[in-house]
Amino acid sequence: MGVKPCFAGVDVGSATTKAVLVDADGAVLAHALLPSGGNLAAAADAVVAKALADAGLARDAIAALISTGYGRENVAGRLKAVTEITCHARGAHALNPGVRAVIDIGGQDSKAIALDAKGMVKKFEMNDKCAAGTGRFLEVMARTLDVDLAAIGPLALTADAPARISSTCTVFAESEVISLLAKGESVPRILAGLCAAITQRVYALASRVGMAPVLMMTGGVAKNSGVVRGIEQAAGMPVVIPEEPQTVGALGAALYARDAAENKNTIQ
Amino acid sequence: MTTTRFSEVAACQAAAAEGYGAARAAANAGRKVAGFMCSYAPQELFHAAGYLPVRILGREGGATLADEIIQPYACSFARSALDSALANEFDFLRLAVFSHTCDTMQNVADLWRRNRPEMAVIVVSVPTQTEGAPARTFFRRELQRVRQAVEALAGPVADDALWDSIRLYQKHRAAMRRLYEVRRTHPGVISGSEMLAVVTASFFMEKQAHLELITRLADAVAACPEDTPGPRPAVLVAGSVCQNADFIKAIEESGCAVVDDDLCMGSRSFSLPDPPDGDPLESLAEIYLARTPCPAFHKPGFDAAQHMLDRARAAQADGVVFLLTKFCDPWFFDYPYISRTLEAAEMPTLLLEVEQHLPAPAQLRTRVEAFAEMLRGRVASWA
Repeated sequence: MGVKPCFAGVDVGSATTKAVLVDADGAVLAHALLPSGGNLAAAADAVVAKALADAGLARDAIAALISTGYGRENVAGRLKAVTEITCHARGAHALNPGVRAVIDIGGQDSKAIALDAKGMVKKFEMNDKCAAGTGRFLEVMARTLDVDLAAIGPLALTADAPARISSTCTVFAESEVISLLAKGESVPRILAGLCAAITQRVYALASRVGMAPVLMMTGGVAKNSGVVRGIEQAAGMPVVIPEEPQTVGALGAALYARDAAENKNTIQ
Repeated sequence: MTTTRFSEVAACQAAAAEGYGAARAAANAGRKVAGFMCSYAPQELFHAAGYLPVRILGREGGATLADEIIQPYACSFARSALDSALANEFDFLRLAVFSHTCDTMQNVADLWRRNRPEMAVIVVSVPTQTEGAPARTFFRRELQRVRQAVEALAGPVADDALWDSIRLYQKHRAAMRRLYEVRRTHPGVISGSEMLAVVTASFFMEKQAHLELITRLADAVAACPEDTPGPRPAVLVAGSVCQNADFIKAIEESGCAVVDDDLCMGSRSFSLPDPPDGDPLESLAEIYLARTPCPAFHKPGFDAAQHMLDRARAAQADGVVFLLTKFCDPWFFDYPYISRTLEAAEMPTLLLEVEQHLPAPAQLRTRVEAFAEMLRGRVASWA
């Protein structure tokens, strides 16, 4: 027998493309992240190549590949495409079988998912059409305030109180931020206000789905401690953040690829 | 346009694609054409007066002209239809008929009247509480007023002519109900997109011609061996105006079978019972008030959630997809109650907020696909 087969999940998000490789037992062999850029198919190829290189495997080691994310139809060599909602639920369940709710905030959309004990989606909600209150929103605000994206959370947590930001519309909020700066409001308080605005919006989405412990946050914005704390306060329960919150969807896709290859497909 | 095995569906697809073309041609040939915005317009009255009643629909593209005089939070259906009127795309209509369902409809009627003074406008007041003798008395009186208004435009309408129209529409609705019925046992034979084309064609075609088509179609479908949606989850689509075939198509392309609908532009329009004999206006008043009520109205004893659940179960649906037009207040006030009740009864729901002029966006597709995956996951035998 030659190389052991591996199974790939590729999550083509609006901002970042992620790949996860798992073995026949579902153990993670490698993961990789790259900016999605303008050519989604190329980004998907590159991120798979990167993960394979990390794992020391050749392309033909991939026995099955499932794609997910908004660019899921652009991935070559996919066995099939599965939505990110189903994949996030599966990935979250694999990381922590106790998870019953997932809040995922990515580059251009946010979702709330309720799942059952088997990791199947019970109900979900997704934000509408525009990218208000998502990763893109934080990127624009970081640029407006000249703050590093990764510093938003820690800085927001130093504020004594959040500034009042009434909108999660990126365009409106940017004007509000500029007015607050002009009034002499401190950057940490503004950042805390922005995190609170995102929290309120996402929590409204999450409430419609029903939040129950264990609650996990995934997606790039889960790395923002200001938003995470806000969600914890709103939900009245701790939030579990996986080590790699951005690759949870890709992990779910990889696990579905393994199932599909073993012909015990749970979602067809 | 989807392919179809039925020539009757192909004829409907052609009529739906042609839109107002046939009505415009009829108008050019001297026929009086009346447009109606809402399924509460008593089409029989206009038909009896010699009009070809066609339903006013929204269309794709912006609503630049309408946006000058109507607020952006009026529904896209109203804004789009008004925009068409302002752009003089309805120059073949002699008469526009509105019903006072929601405030938006009432005000669109007023804006229409103001901005298209050459076109006659009739607004039909429907009692907001549709049950009981006072509601029927009120509505009969209103229909009498409408009849007089039509007669002022088109000459006298004899009771016999009115009865002929009532019976024709009654036959047509019964035939549509039968088509819906046979479709339930043949979900693999006739798709949701095909049904939407049949319904849309009914808004444009001469009633008698459409009646003949759907009668033959129902026979042809019934003659096929009964089938099931197979491994596809079966869904019921519910909501108000749905003329954009992209939404139904997106649902079907995601792997669901659309097996039935509870749409205003669908089964709701055909839910009127058979008319009792006697006074034609009383008869009309009775059947229009007895139909599945628009959420703008209140019908004591009618539980909107139970109604939806019954329909979904009768269609053996695995889930319900709500296609609600953004800013449609009456539906959105009812929606949380209906969806919670359905979910408590283990009937999963998905809400798609739609706008007439937008093609199905990617996020909508993701939602529908995720819903299909969720429904497949629930059915253990498909695992």
